[in-house]
Amino acid sequence: MNQSVLEPNGAEAERIADLALMLFGGAAIIFFGVMALAAASVWGGVSVRRAIASERMIVAAGIAFPVITLTALLFYSLWLMRANIQGNATPPAGRIEVAAEQWWWRITYVEPDGRRISEANELRLPVGREVELVLTSPDVIHSLWIPAIGGKLDMIPGRTNRMRVSIDGPGIYRGQCAEYCGGPHALMAFDVIALEATEFDAWVRGDVAGGSTETVRGRGIFEESGCGSCHAVRGANASGLVGPDLSRVGGRRTIAAGTLPTSRENLTRFIVDGQSIKPGNLMPPFGLFAAEDVDAISAYLMSLQ
Amino acid sequence: MAFVLLVGLGVAAAFLFAASGVYNVAASRGHWWIVDQFLRFGMENSVKARAPETSPNLDDADLIRLGAAHFHGGCAFCHGAPGSRPSPVVQHMLPSPPDLAERVDRWTDGELFWLVKHGLKYAGMPAWPAQDRDDEIWSVVAFLRQLPDLDARHYEELALAEVQVDGGGGRELATAESDPDGVGACARCHGDAGRGPQTKLVPRLQGQSRDWLARSLRDYAEGARHSGIMQPLAAALKPEAIEKLATYYAGLPPLAPDDDPRRGSVEEGQKLATSGDPGAEIPACISCHGSDGSPDYPRLAGQPARYLSAQLAAWRNGKGGTSPTHAIMAPIAARLTDQQIADVSAFFASQRVVGHPGLAP
Amino acid sequence: MTSTAERETAELPNPLPRPRDELRRLQAVWAIPEGWRILSAVNNSVIGYFYIGAAFLFFVLAGVLALLMRVQLAVPGNLFLDQESYNQIFTMHGTVMMFLFAVPAVEAMGVLLLPQMLGARDLPFPRLGAFAFWAYLVGGLVFFSTLFFDMAPSGGWFMYPPLTGSRFSPGTGADFWLLGIGFIEISAIAGAIEIIVGVLRTRAPGMSLDKMPIFAWTMLIFAVMIVFAFPAVILATMMLELERAFDWPFFIPDRGGDALLWQHLFWFFGHPEVYIIFLPAAGMVSMIVPTMAATPLVGYRLIVVALIATGFFSFGLWVHHMFTTGIPAMSLGFFSAASMAVSVPSGIQVFSWIATMAAGRLRITAASLFVLGFLFIFTLGGLTGVMVAMVPFDWQAHDTYFVVAHFHYVLVGGMVFPLFAAFYYWAPAFSRRALSERLGKIAFVLMFVGFNIAFFPMHIAGLIGMPRRVYTYPAGLGWETPNLASTIGAFMIAAGVLVFLLDLIRHLRPTVGASAGNVWNAGTLEWLENDVHAARSVPFVESRDPLWEDARLSADVHKGRYYLPGTVTGRRETIVTSAILAEPQYVVRLTGPGWAHLLAAIFTAAFFLLLTVKLVTAAIICGAVAIACVVAWAWDTDSPSAGDVDIGGGIRLPTYAVGAASHSWWAMIILMAVAGALYLSYVFSYLYLWTVRPQDWPPIAPLASHAGWIASAALLCISAAALWASGRSIRAAVPRLWLTVGLTVVGLLTLLLGLGADVASHWLAGLRPQHSGYAALVFTAGFLQAEIVAAVCIMGIFACVRILVGLTDGRRSVVFDNMVLLWGYGLGQGALGLLLTHGFPRLGM
Repeated sequence: MNQSVLEPNGAEAERIADLALMLFGGAAIIFFGVMALAAASVWGGVSVRRAIASERMIVAAGIAFPVITLTALLFYSLWLMRANIQGNATPPAGRIEVAAEQWWWRITYVEPDGRRISEANELRLPVGREVELVLTSPDVIHSLWIPAIGGKLDMIPGRTNRMRVSIDGPGIYRGQCAEYCGGPHALMAFDVIALEATEFDAWVRGDVAGGSTETVRGRGIFEESGCGSCHAVRGANASGLVGPDLSRVGGRRTIAAGTLPTSRENLTRFIVDGQSIKPGNLMPPFGLFAAEDVDAISAYLMSLQ
Repeated sequence: MAFVLLVGLGVAAAFLFAASGVYNVAASRGHWWIVDQFLRFGMENSVKARAPETSPNLDDADLIRLGAAHFHGGCAFCHGAPGSRPSPVVQHMLPSPPDLAERVDRWTDGELFWLVKHGLKYAGMPAWPAQDRDDEIWSVVAFLRQLPDLDARHYEELALAEVQVDGGGGRELATAESDPDGVGACARCHGDAGRGPQTKLVPRLQGQSRDWLARSLRDYAEGARHSGIMQPLAAALKPEAIEKLATYYAGLPPLAPDDDPRRGSVEEGQKLATSGDPGAEIPACISCHGSDGSPDYPRLAGQPARYLSAQLAAWRNGKGGTSPTHAIMAPIAARLTDQQIADVSAFFASQRVVGHPGLAP
Repeated sequence: MTSTAERETAELPNPLPRPRDELRRLQAVWAIPEGWRILSAVNNSVIGYFYIGAAFLFFVLAGVLALLMRVQLAVPGNLFLDQESYNQIFTMHGTVMMFLFAVPAVEAMGVLLLPQMLGARDLPFPRLGAFAFWAYLVGGLVFFSTLFFDMAPSGGWFMYPPLTGSRFSPGTGADFWLLGIGFIEISAIAGAIEIIVGVLRTRAPGMSLDKMPIFAWTMLIFAVMIVFAFPAVILATMMLELERAFDWPFFIPDRGGDALLWQHLFWFFGHPEVYIIFLPAAGMVSMIVPTMAATPLVGYRLIVVALIATGFFSFGLWVHHMFTTGIPAMSLGFFSAASMAVSVPSGIQVFSWIATMAAGRLRITAASLFVLGFLFIFTLGGLTGVMVAMVPFDWQAHDTYFVVAHFHYVLVGGMVFPLFAAFYYWAPAFSRRALSERLGKIAFVLMFVGFNIAFFPMHIAGLIGMPRRVYTYPAGLGWETPNLASTIGAFMIAAGVLVFLLDLIRHLRPTVGASAGNVWNAGTLEWLENDVHAARSVPFVESRDPLWEDARLSADVHKGRYYLPGTVTGRRETIVTSAILAEPQYVVRLTGPGWAHLLAAIFTAAFFLLLTVKLVTAAIICGAVAIACVVAWAWDTDSPSAGDVDIGGGIRLPTYAVGAASHSWWAMIILMAVAGALYLSYVFSYLYLWTVRPQDWPPIAPLASHAGWIASAALLCISAAALWASGRSIRAAVPRLWLTVGLTVVGLLTLLLGLGADVASHWLAGLRPQHSGYAALVFTAGFLQAEIVAAVCIMGIFACVRILVGLTDGRRSVVFDNMVLLWGYGLGQGALGLLLTHGFPRLGM
């Protein structure tokens, strides 16, 4: 798993990584050139120094050289952005809506037939298929950033931004909110799981596999304790829209938007004392459950995959 | 230099005065007249400087009844009440607690509020046990405003409601654990079988779940739920008494709704209570407080709108306690607007209780 | 140096010997109040010292906050600071460094250095300068102390709404930011006005613009940029505070506001801000390098052009902070080009310094080392700046630690290192002893090495995915090593600053009369022998490095052989010269020590801070006291003419000036430019919101009737007529002062009624500011106009009272003229407001 600009695995990220390496190389050459010139001006011999000490040198090194280099760079970057400038004529092969909320990700997979599948805090993408991410925010400004796939794009209340992503190979990448959004902004991450297209389609359309007999008790407590007023679980008496959809929470790699690895113990910790794990998150701490009751809830949630 | 010297001398003189033991601190002997006047002067100005300038409408029967009920248990022992004199022990305090019927007219509403809330240093007047419950303190002020005009009979009507406190015969009085004034009688405020609360500022306990009733009393007793009225009463209860009381009220049939809230829209409240407002991060109330919610949570149907509004407002202001239920409700209440509080309170007040969850495990 | 011999015989303006008590009288009028009364002092040397001291205090405080953050981030998952504390601390670190350290520090250097460097006795508005300082100090200290009460803002130094709106930031932290910083910006503008007038109008005779030291050029451009950039953020803070306090939804998208409007306004200020900080620091380098290399600056004209170009370009690239907001790619291209272009002028300066070092022979002093360190760091920061100007690269780098590294290289490299160079360079001019070279070099090594250890790894941390403004991070992403290195480096920087503080304690002995002197053999005027009155006499300047050109200049100036060797009116004076060629025009008498400006500053600060905590009554009382103090302070600033006076060399100058010759007229014009920039920012906001939210405009929103704007326009016309007539009547051959007063009162009343008619027409049409972003902006026009009208009315009453008591008339008319200028401005702004709020919505109907 990586969150690095320098290990790209998507078309845009690769273009930018190439650009970055070129910039670093060029900058290094220029930097050492300027430093060498400065050193020569201080410690160099008389003839060297005389050559440096002229307005001609200032014009050549300070005006002519940068103007030529920067012009070339500008056109190169415009060429890199050509897709963004011309706009996309072709419709995307898939669409996923991502809404950033304080401090988690509401993700909706929109099927070609218009069916919408709600998920949260983990983005699954099909390899080799160009997908459009529709980015919004209902509260404050956030920014979606998956360095291995491409640059970031802000999620601004009242606006809709669109981003095309395509990913080269299966794997797991990490993304994170990149615009300070208050409180636990540091704890607003997510995993991106790139799947082969067929696997992806099967997963999106797959049923919720939760609800074995040993988790019936947990499910009962989950339902009567009001969990469903904020969280939705397909097939259970829980259709809340306030917090993350939990229909497949047990199958996610992390809970609380990348804060903790998914496990029964961690779910229990979060339910009982989420405020000390992720201060300020909107879920109240449910300290009134008996230990075996909350454990039953966690077991039920783990079974939702 | 001379100034420093003067200050030094002053400090030294004051120290010598205290060290010599010349001043008599006995409560059996009053202050010197000049000291008494000086202390009173300082006290009155301190109160005037700090008192709030605005007050809610105090001409409010619900507020007055709640205040009266609390006065009977909390204040009358020291200050006396119409028809009963304060204990002789109290009369030997210095300063001795004044007869309030004569005194309250000297103070503004804000000043009385400040006195009840903060108490007085070196005067035996305690501060309000729940400093974050201004709403309760105003009820005492509302009652104090009525006090000068009350005779013993009207006072009893207000303070005891219909609770009978004859306490039985001499034998009962002499041998049983009893309370001749009925101070601890829950029914003075909350009513009992078939009779609802005396004031719309307190919850209807009839038919609530035993778990919730017992948990609430324990939270009050431990100070995890804040109330200057309930905390002292609950703290005096033994664990068995809490269980008995919870069982008693849980076993009573729920009351039919009879509140007619003046504020708020029942329809809007219904929407919020049943669907929540996901855009404002507000969950649906009935998921927890409806008829099939967990016994850990109270049923809100039929509760007085004013009680519900006051509780939500207390939570929203970040107040009310440290209990686990408080930790759940406070962040949710914080997301509600004034209008939403009024609406949702009106909705629940209009609802009939479905089923009788009280004795469910 | 050949001219020295010729000058032996040349006539200097004033003969020797000088009258016996001339120097004593000069010293007496410029004397600095002693003991604690020094708080009432206004001499630039005293205020400059205080100012630098205060700015440095905030540097240290914000530096401590940085160390706290670095401790927290030293290891993953650290529990040293909790989330809310960290968020407050990073917000305060950025805010304090930018607003309470960087801008005030360079302004302070200007206050301290400019008069001496330009051959003036003091800045032209000493009490205004002192007011700006005290307001900044009081406001800044209270603002900083909010941290100790858990009331500090936590929305980041650029305070993006909606996060900073009342829904997501209840509590007073954001209000402290908005009112506190808005107020400190006003103080910065006051300082900028003083610096512009000082640089343009109080230079020594002969110091034409092309002979002016580069530092003065940079301070001039700095101040002009403040005048045009700061109003944008003042408007933004005003709007956000109106939204928070009165629910005017400028930035709430659900209610017709727009979140990006704030970003446009903020960065229209915020980007120039970077150059506002950097340019004067570059100016200091341009002073230090020639001295240390003992040769004139190579490429003076190129540098001046580069400075002006930087100032100009810097207003055209604010969008490069918004490359990731999803704005159209083509406009990204334009701003990308502008962002790259702005690096060219900086390059010119870098190569000019290199050429200058090559032309002479650089002495390796502590100051030189800090300059070389600056070159190293700043060049690297400039190169990463070009990288983030490349839009695709910025999509990755934006809001990561790469950007944190970049702007620390630019700002610490570009501003802090030159400032330390300046401390070591100029200390001998203002202290009995120079600072220690040995300690200075140790401090440099610690700071330079520490800086690179702290900030270079941040480039890497950013590239491997670490976003900025995170209070913690997980292990396993490769971020541990760069973060630990950064923490170690941060403490090395702190150690360097400690060594510097030790040096200050051991060697800095502040003085204005007995400094260590020109130990570096520099060539500019601030190295003349100084006293409380600056140099003894005001030299005639014929070159860029006068002390090098004329070896005897220093001695002759000190003997009093140049202009104005004493006091000619018995008051504090300086020579006002023409803006370009610096020809002497008149002698202005300056104000001396006083308490009114100090009290005005304290009560103005109290006004803003009490508003923050919603103590409205107390705030209004403090505001009224502040205005009373300002009136008291202004009362004796307009001294009557003392006739023509002789400054030597046969030059007789008047002692009073009106119109464009008056320095006070210039200040008023600049103030109007500030107000105009504020209003243009408003016009931008109005039109911008129309482009993004046209659906909220009329006819959906109620539109005021025609009667409203016609009545308002008619009233403004009457006011304009009264303005014209009152101006004529005061200068009439037979002045009738009652008529002037009457016309002024009528004119101001109609101005006020014009505003009232405008606002009332919108109100009566049913529009309320709480309705939508559009409605809020309509009423904002009235709000801005009300500020101007209030100022004009106060000035009008002031002028009328002075006319009635005989202190203002057709010849002694500066007070009246200034009021008339602002009045005229108010009429124009009012008319533009009518066009915008009544005319523009009708265009599309």
